[in-house]
Amino acid sequence: MRLTRLALANFRNYQLLECEPAPGFNLFVGANAQGKTNLLEAIAMLGTGKSFRTSREHEVIREGEVCATLSADAVVDAGEVALACTITAQGRGSRKVYGVNGHPVRYASYLGRVRVVTFTPDDLRLVSGPPQGRRALMNAALAQESPAYYGALASYGRILVQKNAYLRAGVPDTALNTIYNERLITCGTQLMLARNHFVAALAQRATTIYRRLVGAGGEELTLCYRPNVVGASPAQADIAGAFAVKLKAAAVSEALRRISLVGPHRDEIEFLLDGKVLSNIGSQGQRRSAVLAVKLAEYGVLRERGGEAPLLLLDDVLSELDAQRRDFFLAQLAEIEQVFVTSTAVPPSLIPARIFEVEQARIRQREL
Amino acid sequence: MIQQSREQALALADAIVAIKDRVRLCGRCFAVTESDPCATCSDPKRDQSLVCVVAEPRDIFTIERSGAYRGLYHVLGGVISPMDGVGPNQLRIKELLTRLSTEKLNEVIVATNPNAEGEATALYLSRLIAPSGVIVSRLAYGLPIGGDLDYADDLTLARAMEGRRTL
Ligand SMILES: [Zn+2]
Repeated sequence: MRLTRLALANFRNYQLLECEPAPGFNLFVGANAQGKTNLLEAIAMLGTGKSFRTSREHEVIREGEVCATLSADAVVDAGEVALACTITAQGRGSRKVYGVNGHPVRYASYLGRVRVVTFTPDDLRLVSGPPQGRRALMNAALAQESPAYYGALASYGRILVQKNAYLRAGVPDTALNTIYNERLITCGTQLMLARNHFVAALAQRATTIYRRLVGAGGEELTLCYRPNVVGASPAQADIAGAFAVKLKAAAVSEALRRISLVGPHRDEIEFLLDGKVLSNIGSQGQRRSAVLAVKLAEYGVLRERGGEAPLLLLDDVLSELDAQRRDFFLAQLAEIEQVFVTSTAVPPSLIPARIFEVEQARIRQREL
Repeated sequence: MIQQSREQALALADAIVAIKDRVRLCGRCFAVTESDPCATCSDPKRDQSLVCVVAEPRDIFTIERSGAYRGLYHVLGGVISPMDGVGPNQLRIKELLTRLSTEKLNEVIVATNPNAEGEATALYLSRLIAPSGVIVSRLAYGLPIGGDLDYADDLTLARAMEGRRTL
């Protein structure tokens, strides 16, 4: 899939913008703080319906305006599709309306039309950073793939917030606690099943890519999904059963500590290098190599499982890599359908299909 | 308000006071009413063995408008939502249990919204009521109600299926 047109109105620092991206590498080049990342945020939002930079999405509305509009034309295997997303300020928050081919649609039928994989400098801490980053990787990929996953994730999050508020209030109610736990088991088991399959596919690709990156005789990268609840087998009934047992065992600690201690909100992905935990033993270079392998693997899994290539969004990440890793990364992307890259300069060994110069919220296509 | 005349503002204030004086809650179902018991509760043609549990008084108007329901109501005054400081004790659940023991009810239909709080409230009521032998059922929703469910499709389908179950 690829975008043929992108238009923004009152989004972040852009009053009005329209551009026509090409197949291959599209480069947004310019000094810092000119609005390059805003363009990637807009593309990601058109795909996922959500900002990758903020959960307070009214922030994307241009100062002094009440409404931001994003639209794009995309070519997908099924034909052409026109996407639109409008973010309107409402009270202290915002309300979003999604459109497909000029018709308003619900989020579930919007999500997944155009899929994106984003790679930002924050992702470079995927291995060494907090576990939220690793769960976010699974959630971002799986929510785009399946509205059912998104639904389970949203319900799970909501029930968890309510159960934590119930525990904090310190007024024990066995019936209510049981109900929250049952709902967490139903939604949480769905999450863990999907994550298990996803990480297995991700791990297989990441290991292969890492081997290519470090060459023969190098270390072996392994990824392991470490669910908070481990069933006798990775089947739904076994996971749900183990979930119930673990919740029951943790009931007293949960009441004492007044917080939910069991479930996929405490899942982990473990990175091993030759069987040893990477974040304990690895150098910064090894961790970066692992991150590159995982992001490329994520792209590969989404492409394979979705039947067509997602868009790849690279936010100023190439300049963070040394020459060897950058060249390897770009070589892996040689046959990619469409990539959007932000950078302060044209990165060495990148052959852009189109260059857009970004300066003070205006863009200009550079003649090649 | 600022641009209106003082007279207009006073007239509005009088109207609000008049409503406040006339309107009260039905002592049986807690609907907003001018007479206690309310018109629904005192209508002998309504099915006295059926109670539809709703979160707010306004939900009664929505269901009445559909014309598909001929039983009684019970207004909880909200849904269980600890993050908003609303636990079971803040709702009219005790009053519902009292009605179950004093009225000859066969079925309780829980018509809270199909979101996390509405579902938890429905399940909670069904656990409390189950020992009495009264049937507790849940509306099967075709479409989600309420703003926080802006995704639907498979999910809605799944929930409608779930809704078919007697709780
Ligand atoms: Zn009444």
